[in-house]
Amino acid sequence: MCVCCPEVSRRSLLIGGAAAAAALTTGVAQARVLPRDMVPLVGPGYRPTEKDEQGIWQLMDRAEEEISGSNLLITDPKLTGYLRDIIGRVGGPAAKDFRIYLAHIPDFNAMMFPTGFAVVFSGLLLRMRNEAQLAGVIAHESGHFLRRHMIRSWRDQKRKTDIFAIAAMAAGVGGAAGGVYLGDYVQLAQLGTILSLFQYSRAMEAEADAMGAKNMADAGYAPIEMANIWEQLIGEETASARYRRKRRRRGSLFDTHPSEGSRMVDLRADAAEVTVPGRQYETGRERYLARIGAIRPMLLDDQVKLNDPGASQYLIETLAQDGWNGLLRFYEGEVWRLRNRHGDDLRAAQSYAAAVAYPDAPADAWRWHAISLMKAGRTGEARIAFTRYLTMKPDASDAAWVRQMIG
Amino acid sequence: MVAFLGGCPMRKMGLALAFATAVPLSGCVQTRQFADLQFTPPQGDYKLLVLRPDVSVGSLTTGGMVDPRADWTDQARANIIAALRAQQAARGGKVQILEHRNQVPGVTEQEAADFERLFSAVGNSIVLHKYLGDYLPTKRGKGLEYTLGEDAVRLGQKSGYDYALFLHAEDSVASTGRVALGVLGLAGCFVGFCAPNVGGSSQLDYAGLVDLKTGEVVWFNVVQAGSQVPGISFGDLRTPQGSAQMVERLLGRMKPGLAVRRAAAESH
Repeated sequence: MCVCCPEVSRRSLLIGGAAAAAALTTGVAQARVLPRDMVPLVGPGYRPTEKDEQGIWQLMDRAEEEISGSNLLITDPKLTGYLRDIIGRVGGPAAKDFRIYLAHIPDFNAMMFPTGFAVVFSGLLLRMRNEAQLAGVIAHESGHFLRRHMIRSWRDQKRKTDIFAIAAMAAGVGGAAGGVYLGDYVQLAQLGTILSLFQYSRAMEAEADAMGAKNMADAGYAPIEMANIWEQLIGEETASARYRRKRRRRGSLFDTHPSEGSRMVDLRADAAEVTVPGRQYETGRERYLARIGAIRPMLLDDQVKLNDPGASQYLIETLAQDGWNGLLRFYEGEVWRLRNRHGDDLRAAQSYAAAVAYPDAPADAWRWHAISLMKAGRTGEARIAFTRYLTMKPDASDAAWVRQMIG
Repeated sequence: MVAFLGGCPMRKMGLALAFATAVPLSGCVQTRQFADLQFTPPQGDYKLLVLRPDVSVGSLTTGGMVDPRADWTDQARANIIAALRAQQAARGGKVQILEHRNQVPGVTEQEAADFERLFSAVGNSIVLHKYLGDYLPTKRGKGLEYTLGEDAVRLGQKSGYDYALFLHAEDSVASTGRVALGVLGLAGCFVGFCAPNVGGSSQLDYAGLVDLKTGEVVWFNVVQAGSQVPGISFGDLRTPQGSAQMVERLLGRMKPGLAVRRAAAESH
């Protein structure tokens, strides 16, 4: 390597280069992608014809084989059929080609693979307040496939790393021949390359949002619900961070996705653009609750056990905006009980007491209500609550203990 | 994969990458095998089940990324299977090589998939703790001390096989652009910027043998081949010769375990 470095001011070089790199990435604020410009780039039954895409498809077929047989999947046909129906409505021309899997992972995420199969995390089903919101996320993911994002970004990465490798080598060889050390420039070019990769990724997320907004509106879902998802996510992250006495993480140049705030603003504008005056748009809330009702206790249980009381409480309160019920009150109590700070036992007791006033209170709400009453010295009421628990769950694992408490 | 919020859990790729950087690429072929202390290579009348070989072949781009190639992968897999058949025929055992997971007699597709995944997890541990430098003091001097447990024994009982062999091969072939980059780096040597070693084709293969009577992984071998200078090749899996060479390097010289070798040395 070259060791003879002429007197070039490193500082001026770095500043100039940093400005150049910054200019490459105008960062988080970029022009909104318009839904009307989003034309699907694949038709029904799409198969790749070029070598590089075929290679990726083969790898992804293997990945799908693994994922579709994973024991993390929720395979209840009622739920998977529901997801398939939704992607069939918002999937555009590829609607019939998509496969969709539901993974039992308590996080807010969903992903689309380049061959047209999607994985939805169970944590998403907890957070969505209606079918339109779920359809919005699925429409966004479908947008990635319809706009061929994976192969486009792969080619973009190949092109940029190729250019960088050649430029770096040429700079080294050329610099050595000319007697100048260009190492600093090479480092800046590397940073520029990396930053522009992330920028392409953000631009594609914006495309998927726009394409998704268009497709969900075409399918008759209220497009504004997609913007509401971001509002909820920002609220959840803020609440989670406040509990941990930290600030919500802000966007940076290295983000692969646009900031939630900018997505929310853009999606509101998208929603206005794709709404046809006079047309009826639905949220599908009743249908959504009917379909996911059976697993909602499990979803809430997963969430409260994540030891993130800020987020859990925010989520429960958000869901309760559509009306409190026994299930939500019970898990509100669980958040306090598991947090276990000073006074939380009393807060939990109040929640359990509120929960059992609803007809849908789960058996465990009666159990914890009884224990709280017992602690407060109200043994007579506690016995009644314990009895109710045993009636609802006669073969509970702690039935013998409960019978002894009843006396 | 395009995630809704970002983040890609691609552990397997990460491991392969760690492997590529941890084992020095010296432009040559390295193999290193481990065996159970009591291991004797299977001989005579044994029944061997070869799980679907996990093969991937790609093209190394100028910028250093690996572009997966479906046609090359299919070609390499067919070559490897043919080479395996030829090699095992010489040893005298009865061999079945799976092409699909539903071909194991008496075993469901799901059970075969679970078995493959279990091996993949154990195999990753072996690679991590025996090859990548993260050695465990409790495993020192004990040869290969890993097991797939009761599930493997049950698979052996149901299918009637004595051994199961897993095989992984990944190969990246330097593209013309990558070779040209190396040539440019070499040309730079004349003006004082010498960088011919940008990294060329590389191959990583490993295999593990499981004794289905005990469930133990009795033998494991890794072949790492690579050249720092693009343009130099060392057995291309896309050709029958290259595949035969790889199978021979990987499985050809199966050494008995340490205790068996010591006993043999003492009896002489």
